[in-house]
Amino acid sequence: MTEIVTLISAGLLLIGSAFTLVASIGLLRLPDVYTRMHAASKAGTMGSCLMLIALAIHSADFGTMSRALAGVVFILLTAPVSSHLLAKAAYTVGYRLHASSVRDEMAPQDKQ
Amino acid sequence: MSLFLVNVLLALAWAAVTGSFTFLNFAFGFVLAIFALSLIREQVGSVGYFSRARRVVSLLLLFVTELVLSAWKVALLVLSPRMDLKPGIFAYPLRVDRDFEITILANLITLTPGTLSVDVSDDRRILYIHAMDASDPDATRREIAEGFESKIMEAFR
Amino acid sequence: MIGVETIFDYAVTTTLGVLCLSFLVTIYRIVKGPTLPDRILGLDMLVLIAIGFIAVIGIKTGYALYVDVAIALGLVGFLATVAFARFVLSRGKTEDDILTEAREAASTARREAKLRARPSGGNPGSAPHPGAGQTGGETNP
Repeated sequence: MTEIVTLISAGLLLIGSAFTLVASIGLLRLPDVYTRMHAASKAGTMGSCLMLIALAIHSADFGTMSRALAGVVFILLTAPVSSHLLAKAAYTVGYRLHASSVRDEMAPQDKQ
Repeated sequence: MSLFLVNVLLALAWAAVTGSFTFLNFAFGFVLAIFALSLIREQVGSVGYFSRARRVVSLLLLFVTELVLSAWKVALLVLSPRMDLKPGIFAYPLRVDRDFEITILANLITLTPGTLSVDVSDDRRILYIHAMDASDPDATRREIAEGFESKIMEAFR
Repeated sequence: MIGVETIFDYAVTTTLGVLCLSFLVTIYRIVKGPTLPDRILGLDMLVLIAIGFIAVIGIKTGYALYVDVAIALGLVGFLATVAFARFVLSRGKTEDDILTEAREAASTARREAKLRARPSGGNPGSAPHPGAGQTGGETNP
């Protein structure tokens, strides 16, 4: 039983770190702020949540587990809010979308 | 909500009676309490509680699967040798109108494949969404309306 | 047959290595990042990676206290991102705007210096100098 739990948490650690690496590569390769936000807010959140879950199931006692899960919920709640705020601020101030963007339905509303 | 409190109290009572406060024992007590409440659901009037709980749980499950899927899609996109992106911002007419529901919808949209909510218009009718692939916004709009928005409306009203 | 503990140790070491790599990649983006929101996004990502680090080290050492550190770091990172977003909003202009403004200010300063230098005519060598020093100072940020 404990061996299976250890193996599962090892797997979660590896998958989580892989997602974190993918998120930072995305931060490096994607063309503009808005597309980079996709990488950071999805893959990055996923990575650190998986690693916290690995900690939760590796530690056998109730207090640590509940606190780690509370941390996961907290990250899941705050990550979209912060990226949403940043996107809104960047758009309002006037950082343009990348040249390859195909549509911008917010633009006419912006000028009114 | 008070029934949920009763549920938690029953689970705590189970943990206290059996004398071990491990997570597994508490979860087992919670399941037992749900079973006990479902036995007396006509007497305490908790029929609505169960169907609502089931819908909230199904919303949570949908959310988790979408999060995994979206992280996987971002990973595939980032690791593909040449990225063909068609990013863009499109407008989404909101059907939900309470602040609480708009917040949940915007958060869910941010954590789902290829979409990121950018702004809500001042009259709270339109949500502006940035998409990785905005070549077919009508399909994305339909997906959101049939997936998350209808689930949220089911779960919270 | 390798023991489960050995596999687990290898997994922890690999995770630490991969996290280091993504830390460096993100730092490269922060240093290079052409605009301010890019850098803020990089800092947000750094906080997420640091939470991952703390979780892994908490597993490795077995101290349960690291979980609280991770939660507190998440809170601080969220507040920092919110504050930075407010800053972007209150600054109200992009890097391109600032560059254009600085360039315009520099060219007007140069023109004025030239105008001031011509009517006096006495010492053409010394008059443009303060103007040039000023333009250098303004284009720097």
